[in-house]
Amino acid sequence: MRHRQSLPALLGVSLFLLAGCSLSPLARNTASFSSAASLVVDNTQNAYRTAVRLNEEAQASLLVARFDSAQPMDPHSIRPLIDDKGLKTRTEVLNGLQAYAQTIADLSNGVSSPKLDEAAAACGANLKSLGDALATSTSIGINVSATEANAASTAFKALGDFLVNRQVRSSVPKVIHEMAPHIEALANLLSSDITTLRDQSGRDYEQLLAQQDSFIRHAGSSLSATERRAEIERLPRILARKQATDDMLGELQTSVRKLAETHHALAVSATSKDSLSLQARIADLRASAEGLATFYQSLSASSDK
Amino acid sequence: MPSNKPSDKKSTLKPATLDATPALSDAEVLQTFKDPNTIQAYRDLYDALGRAYWEASDIKDKDTIQGIRDHIYEILTDLNIEKLQANTELFFALKSKIEDNNDALGDIKKKIAKITKNLSTVASVISAISKVLSLAPSLL
Repeated sequence: MRHRQSLPALLGVSLFLLAGCSLSPLARNTASFSSAASLVVDNTQNAYRTAVRLNEEAQASLLVARFDSAQPMDPHSIRPLIDDKGLKTRTEVLNGLQAYAQTIADLSNGVSSPKLDEAAAACGANLKSLGDALATSTSIGINVSATEANAASTAFKALGDFLVNRQVRSSVPKVIHEMAPHIEALANLLSSDITTLRDQSGRDYEQLLAQQDSFIRHAGSSLSATERRAEIERLPRILARKQATDDMLGELQTSVRKLAETHHALAVSATSKDSLSLQARIADLRASAEGLATFYQSLSASSDK
Repeated sequence: MPSNKPSDKKSTLKPATLDATPALSDAEVLQTFKDPNTIQAYRDLYDALGRAYWEASDIKDKDTIQGIRDHIYEILTDLNIEKLQANTELFFALKSKIEDNNDALGDIKKKIAKITKNLSTVASVISAISKVLSLAPSLL
């Protein structure tokens, strides 16, 4: 009887160790990558929104400046910096990246384990019921104790984990490897976009600055001393926003590059066991992305609208 | 905010040309603006006019300078919009590749769900046998 009790438990522990030890670096790395990637995706989407809004502001300012001229600007002629289709496509791609990062993390971390746990627990309990039923119905005399049932559940769970992990280990690294060139292409595209947004936002702020200056000078005495002072005080704030936005976009560009490098390291790490440099890259990426998130908040708070 | 500028006109991608200069076709204009040196020259001009704006002390001079600057701003903005639109096409092409990879991950999820289901089936078979035994002990 003692032997019968210890065997399933031993089997369970062995399988659990077998399944768990070999997978943990992949699970840890994909989870860290997913979390950092999520921050980069959020920051990038914020950057698009910020740049499009800023350009709308600059165009509106130009519209006002030309309003009473001989050839005023037609509001219909204003084109968004990125149209709806462009924003939608970019959002879908970024969401796809986020889904990818989340899914590899989920798979590597065994998100399906609640179902597996349920099945394993049911297996032990049902085994005990089976023993009880056999004991009362036959003279075989099988009696499954609660301890044995729990051991069976544990072994069952370990077997499930082992099978799931084997599936993950044999297929997820391949997907990560295949995704690498697409992440590289995506990083290049995002970087190209950000270069354009930096170029555009610099001039948008310059336009706002000049239009504001021109407005104050043309308004002359129609502004009270207090109003005039308030309007003049907006000039350095516009310049501060210009610098902050450029810094933010520059940081974002760095983050996007780090994301591609981190994914490349993840792909290498998924097939080898050296994850030390990957961990350093992920920590670097995460710190950069978190810094940006804080930056966005400060930028919104100091927005001069 | 009252209007504060002299007469202005919405620009197109065509650069300002002197009357004596032969008009360029649209294709030629586009080709001209694909040249990074041309784009950089316009950026430099915009910046130089910006410096001139802040150095000018007369409001009319400022208006004149800013009027020209506005045109260049619009040209460069149009070029940036074109660049971002071109990138949209590339994003669109990339989208399907990322979706394909996510589909591959979906297949792995299904395989894992199948493993879990198989184990659940074992549990339910045991349960079913227990039920039969408890309901019909006389059969054994």
